[in-house]
Amino acid sequence: MTLIAALAVGILFAAGSYLLLQHDFIKVVGGTMLISHSVNLFIMVSGLSRGTEPIYPLVPGEKISDPVVQAMVLTAIVISFGVSALLISLIYRVYVAHRSVDIEHLSDFEERLVQLEEQQVPPEPGIGVLEDREDGDDSTRQAAGSTQPESAGAG
Amino acid sequence: MNNGMARQAARLLLLPTWMVAFAILIKGYSDSGDGFSAGVIAALGVIMQYVTYGTATAEKLRPVRYARQIAMAGLLIALSVAFVPALRGQPIMTHYPGPDRHAVHLGSLELTTPFLFDIGVFLLVMGVCIGVFDLLAHATRRERS
Amino acid sequence: MNATVFLLLAALFAAPFTAAFGVARSSLTRPVAIVTSAIAFAAALYNAFQPGPIIDKEWAPAWGLRLHFEADGIAVLFALLATGIGLAVIVYSSVYIPIHLHHEHRAEADQTRFFAFILLFMGAMTGLVMAQDLMLIFLFWDLTAIASYYLIGFDSQKREARVSAFMALTVTCITAVGFLIGALMLDAEYGSFQLPTLIETITPNYEFDIAIVLIVIAALAKSAQAPLHFWLPRAMAAPTPVSAYLHSAAMVAAGVFLIGRFYPLVELRAWLLDALIVVGIASMLTGGLLALTRDNMKQLLAYSTIAQYGYIVTMFGLGGKAGVFGAMFAVIAHGLGKSALFLTAGAVTEATGARELSNVGGLRRAMPVLAIASGLAAASLAAIPLTMGFFKDEYFFEAAAHHGRLTQVIAVGAAMMTFSYLTRFWWGIFGGPMIGSVKPVPVPLVAPIAVLGAISLIGGLWPEPFARVASNAGQVALRSDDALHPAYHLKWTVENAMALCAIGGGLLLFLSRRFWLERVEIVSDFGKRVGPERLYRGSVLELNEISDRIHWIEVRDLRSRVATVLAPAALMVVITLIFTNADSSFEVGHVRRDDWPLIMMLAVVAIAGVAAAIPRDHFSMALALSGVGFGLSVVFALLRAPDVALVAVLVETLFGVLFFAFLGLIPRNVEHADVVPSDEPQEVGHRHRMRDSVLATFGGLLAFLVAWGVLSRPAPVDSIFEDYIDLTPSAHGDAIVTVILADFRGLDTMGEITVIGIAFLGIATFIRRRRVR
Repeated sequence: MTLIAALAVGILFAAGSYLLLQHDFIKVVGGTMLISHSVNLFIMVSGLSRGTEPIYPLVPGEKISDPVVQAMVLTAIVISFGVSALLISLIYRVYVAHRSVDIEHLSDFEERLVQLEEQQVPPEPGIGVLEDREDGDDSTRQAAGSTQPESAGAG
Repeated sequence: MNNGMARQAARLLLLPTWMVAFAILIKGYSDSGDGFSAGVIAALGVIMQYVTYGTATAEKLRPVRYARQIAMAGLLIALSVAFVPALRGQPIMTHYPGPDRHAVHLGSLELTTPFLFDIGVFLLVMGVCIGVFDLLAHATRRERS
Repeated sequence: MNATVFLLLAALFAAPFTAAFGVARSSLTRPVAIVTSAIAFAAALYNAFQPGPIIDKEWAPAWGLRLHFEADGIAVLFALLATGIGLAVIVYSSVYIPIHLHHEHRAEADQTRFFAFILLFMGAMTGLVMAQDLMLIFLFWDLTAIASYYLIGFDSQKREARVSAFMALTVTCITAVGFLIGALMLDAEYGSFQLPTLIETITPNYEFDIAIVLIVIAALAKSAQAPLHFWLPRAMAAPTPVSAYLHSAAMVAAGVFLIGRFYPLVELRAWLLDALIVVGIASMLTGGLLALTRDNMKQLLAYSTIAQYGYIVTMFGLGGKAGVFGAMFAVIAHGLGKSALFLTAGAVTEATGARELSNVGGLRRAMPVLAIASGLAAASLAAIPLTMGFFKDEYFFEAAAHHGRLTQVIAVGAAMMTFSYLTRFWWGIFGGPMIGSVKPVPVPLVAPIAVLGAISLIGGLWPEPFARVASNAGQVALRSDDALHPAYHLKWTVENAMALCAIGGGLLLFLSRRFWLERVEIVSDFGKRVGPERLYRGSVLELNEISDRIHWIEVRDLRSRVATVLAPAALMVVITLIFTNADSSFEVGHVRRDDWPLIMMLAVVAIAGVAAAIPRDHFSMALALSGVGFGLSVVFALLRAPDVALVAVLVETLFGVLFFAFLGLIPRNVEHADVVPSDEPQEVGHRHRMRDSVLATFGGLLAFLVAWGVLSRPAPVDSIFEDYIDLTPSAHGDAIVTVILADFRGLDTMGEITVIGIAFLGIATFIRRRRVR
């Protein structure tokens, strides 16, 4: 029984990691789901005490299946549901923005964008660099970098 | 999806679904199931209406209109069960009545704060599920038009 | 309500109150801000005459945290400064900020943000000085840093302001983390976060040394002491009232406050006091030297702040009555004088439009009140007799003379520089020939300066009340019941001689400025090139570079990133397997007769899993995934876990509908086009598939081995679940799993529903709007 359960865990994990390596985002989500299924199964069978249901009234003397493991798996299922749902809505968003769900297309797009930016704007000196020390107006404010206070939009 | 049978079934099943959800919620502490499963079942009842009748009809249902408020209320209930004890100087998630104290019985249901916590989870999950489907339905309609 | 609570509430609620009114009606912001800060100042004054009782309430008993506030001498001193100068600055700002916003072409409603944050700063400062619990101190400490970030970056349309705000935040927050570590170490070592308890019980050891050094570093960074001083001149990018407040009475004072607060612990180590002297002198010299050369008015004042706080830190290091009590007195004198000078700079810029000393001059006739008021403030800072500042220098000289000849000389040198740059500042604005045109400034821009200048004068003629406040503070720091009694001694004492030297030398230095100015500028330029700011810039740039590179790798190829995460993980698993499982064999396990349904279902699940990986289109994959999910719920049911099975079925149903609904939104042709990207030749795609299958098989094999190895180990004899089973009836429940979820491990469920809530927010934002960019 031990071997069989471990085999099932391994097969699910293998299928999941295969999907994870695809360049189709929807398949990547499928991969994460399969892997979380495999982990849930693993946690569940690790409590292979296999007795009766953990609900009172209990039959005296009989083994009870491990309720802690069950509670943990329950939480894990719910959380992986939330995460998967978030992931597919994110992919929908990506689709709306780029009309593609393929990682190759997206990274090509990003690369082109960066090249375009580099042609238009000279390299930004980055945060923490200011040439003149005395304060005063500085007219060279371009893309801000990460130093912008959250509230900048209110300006 | 314009199948009359399906519509009839969905309409007829809505109330029983909610009954089942309610029963699971009440029975949570004495039998299998808890606030989460109850919430999902209640939401599935509503989602059935979406699938059979379409967005316009389903949106008239009250839980759909107030999905967000339901979710917020649930989150607030659960959070307050967790953190109100902290205001009284006790560790968070302290439940009342304490161990082996007397609690009011209503059949198999005992009125305790964990039950209130479960209700919070129930409302949150129901609100979230319905809310997500409502958004999805709108997105689908936009995509079609 | 007692006085302590009153002060706390008045200070802490000023900001939200003002913000609420300001959001409702922008025009209400200014009056409400003035009234709330006046109330807070009144509360602080009341506490000065009649200190309120100690507040000590349980907060989080499990962690030993208490809401522990006390309006002791130090607290009263710094609260008076924070609220009093706060009031002056807010009155000033009520005119200055609308003009400033107008200059910057910004909406007048933005003033609400300004007043809210400056009041928040005042509240945080007041809370900080009254707190006696290390975690409370940390909390308020960080709150001041956050408020200062928004205040320094108030002109967020300017890059300069953003960079400066970020720099101040980085420097003070990184060191604040050091403070946190120190506090935790003290708690771990001595078992308390309460400062009074710690002072009673501490016997210094190695851990104590590290902790106190971290705390002192945090204090010095906040006080802009060398070599962490570079953020302060930068922070002059803020509107002038912010500089006046933060760099005289509030932010910079917080650092010195912390040293005073921890002084009973600091003085346990003599080498730490010596270190304070070294840092203080270094700051004094750096700040003084640079202040001598600056042309920009606010920059000059900024460097003079560094130097002045160098005085105070040195005085703490010198110790004794003259040192510590004098330091407290110096904090008052400096706060009053320096805020007045900053406000003067603002008013002058407002009147003439000039920011540099070389562009103004001769304003003494055009602005006589301002000239006199700021003259008094400058005189006080320069320690002219008959002003409050004279005594601060007297105590400084006394402490220095006690310490040794070298310190004495340096002290006089520093005082000379102080006198000289302040004269340069004042004379540069008000003396000499008139330059440029002057437009009249409104009264509220001058009145606060006049009040502050007058107080500086009163403090020189009648120092007793100020000395009492300083003495009360010094008594807390030094734990003695001494008191200061400042008075003029018209006889030949060492201190008087030193003061005379300082004033005379300073005058000489000022008059001869033409001869040395250029040479000192060379030195300061050199310092700029190799100084610590350079290091800061370098490390920030380097970090930015690294993050850029990582981002590039991530964006470029997600799959290679997955592989780079998976490969090391797999390697670790292999190593673990080799080293841990060498001794024990894998167990095949027994198959009982009633296990067959379970085995069948596991087989179904495995087949469905493989089926999910094979197909090309999404719908088949989704169907197979559903199969896996439903199969697993049957497995869970067979494992006698009804709750899990129920939830698994429901989640699977829900997710199935969700998944198909999403797939319906994404057209079919997308997926078919993308199975093999158009620019990827067929054989490359094939090779990729081979590579992926090999990797996946390998990963699955490892997972299988780990699972098998773990499952082969016998379960621990006493598991926690026995306890949970036994405890369930007393928790008013029968279904053990539900009781665990809602009661025993309720926090897990809290986390779970939080995740659900956040996921919902995310989903809602992702699918609500269609417009992108």
